[in-house]
Amino acid sequence: MDALGLARLQFAVTTSFHFLFVLLTLGLVTVVAVMQTRAALTDKPVHARMTRFWGRLYVVNYALGIATGIVMEFQFGLNWSGLSHYAGDVFGAPLAVETLVAFFLESTFLGLWIFGWDRLGKWVHLALIWLVALTAYASAFWIMVANAFLQHPVGHEERDGVLRLVDFPALVANPLFGLAFLHVLLAALTVGGVFLTGVSAYHFIKRTAEVDFFRRSLRTGVVLTAIVTPFLIGVGFGQFPIIGEFQPGKTEDVSGAGGAGLGFMIQIGLVLFLVSWLTVPLLFRDWVVRMRFPLYLMVIGIPLPFIAAIGGWLFRELGRQPWLVYGLLRTEDALSDVSREGMLFSFIAFTAVFAVLAIADWILIARLVRRGPVDAPAPVSPLVPAL
Amino acid sequence: MEGLWVALLGLLTAGYFALAGFDYGVGLLFRFVGRDEAERTGVIRTMTPFFLGNEVWLVAAVGVLFGAFPRLEGELLSAHHGSFVTILVGLVMFTAAVQLRSHPLWDVPLVAGALIVAAGWGVLLGNVLGGPPFLWAAGLVTMFLLHGAVFLTWRLHGPLRSRAVLLARVLIAPSAAFVVAAVLLSGPVQAPTYGWAGATLVLFLLGGTWPALRRRLYLLAFLCTATTCAVPALAVFGAQAVVTTETMSHAPTLEALTWPALAVLPLVLVFQWTTWWMSRATR
Repeated sequence: MDALGLARLQFAVTTSFHFLFVLLTLGLVTVVAVMQTRAALTDKPVHARMTRFWGRLYVVNYALGIATGIVMEFQFGLNWSGLSHYAGDVFGAPLAVETLVAFFLESTFLGLWIFGWDRLGKWVHLALIWLVALTAYASAFWIMVANAFLQHPVGHEERDGVLRLVDFPALVANPLFGLAFLHVLLAALTVGGVFLTGVSAYHFIKRTAEVDFFRRSLRTGVVLTAIVTPFLIGVGFGQFPIIGEFQPGKTEDVSGAGGAGLGFMIQIGLVLFLVSWLTVPLLFRDWVVRMRFPLYLMVIGIPLPFIAAIGGWLFRELGRQPWLVYGLLRTEDALSDVSREGMLFSFIAFTAVFAVLAIADWILIARLVRRGPVDAPAPVSPLVPAL
Repeated sequence: MEGLWVALLGLLTAGYFALAGFDYGVGLLFRFVGRDEAERTGVIRTMTPFFLGNEVWLVAAVGVLFGAFPRLEGELLSAHHGSFVTILVGLVMFTAAVQLRSHPLWDVPLVAGALIVAAGWGVLLGNVLGGPPFLWAAGLVTMFLLHGAVFLTWRLHGPLRSRAVLLARVLIAPSAAFVVAAVLLSGPVQAPTYGWAGATLVLFLLGGTWPALRRRLYLLAFLCTATTCAVPALAVFGAQAVVTTETMSHAPTLEALTWPALAVLPLVLVFQWTTWWMSRATR
């Protein structure tokens, strides 16, 4: 494989890994914020315990996700310097806003939330998790603005061989942005809902003594999935006319990994929609727990929304080829002047590190899940100093 | 307008090296300062509340680099591909290990990651300057070690503090030797004034760290070494005139980015300050 192929493969692999972390981060932070809100409003211990248990899973996932995010940020300049050179004035703007407004603030808020556990007043601490959630959404917002520009470049003019920004609001009004952003958010909430459901089901399979704790978690997960999936599917199909208008042929000519991705995404979305609505009536008197066999399906279902999201992303990005910036800059013309060996080194290094991170994430989350909610005063993160 | 963005890039870069510098130093030192697992956990937890806040200064700096200096970003990163990939691999190892350290086995990626990042920045700066990369790798590792040790003298007590003070004193002379060697062995540069000014400032601050430690003015010593860690990157980029207006975005982009940047920076400073203030209150 030549340097171009390696650089493309590296981008696909690292972004896929990064996206897996991001989906769970966005899904879980919402759920944790809701749990903490209920804990603050009701003063029932079960909600505080749920916040701590699910919060720890969230923090572990964030810890590894942020590491993949740093690599993503550098990758544009490392391997695709032609993109910064030609379109950096326009494409760089939303990315800069993302790192400044979202990433910078999000990590600062999260650090304070972790460190402020049992130190800050409950309302201040609650406000912090909502600020973390909002800045996480803002992060997704600006990343999707940047991505929409690659799909359908707007708000620019070309002068002296480089693009210049002429209309910043046009980037946000991009027809390829709004629904796609909503779609990603709803997908992340679905990931959160299915994750909550699957983990709770695992504990019922193990005949947990924490019946109240996991009943509430299971219900939250199932209801969240049931509420979100119809909108997710609606917003998904709603994008086809827009794609048809601005990227003619993308849906018709799709083949290979992109086509398979689109197919998987649609099928998994429909399955999750149907199954979650079939499960809602079974929540009555815990029928779903007593029947037992649905619990196994719930555990098996945990990876499904991840697979669907990767599939959808592959369709969106592969369907853009051979363009990096649609109609303006070809992918091959944006490649950095880096030797094939240099590219091979970074591909192997990043892929190996990301694979280890993903496995570590999976092992750590699985271990925390198996341990279940513990009442020993375990901190929400190893970052917290012992009190 | 251009001046504002150059200043912001400089501030974020300086902030990253001044703050994350002690993360890497503590990461390299905590196994020596702490003699058993309980002590080591205690040592590393002096640093961890600030960890996320410290590391994101780099993320913000690169974000500004991309948005406001796109042609420099592409040029710089792709020209030093190997160095940046190495730094990133170390950064990922270090970031993950610090946050997940639940078993001494995590210390392998933690220490290795800190070493790779510190040496990687040294190699990068050495290459940009046209100086010997090995010298710069050793030099930045030494400066981060010193900064970490001084941070620990400020945050620890009792015998742990004594060990940190001893380490810090031992590290001052090699840091100064590195600065002198770096100046003597550097190739021709565009704007030597930056190099001379930076080297003089660092030597002056290192000279101040010694008496500050003797008089137990640990916070003052910490401020000295924080500045010494921030200076090399600024001096090297300044001396080679890396940041030019030709590499910058055009006015409309800079205008669009100014308000978000001006709104966020004070917020981040306030919230990061709160973290420091809270840790002081509970110490």
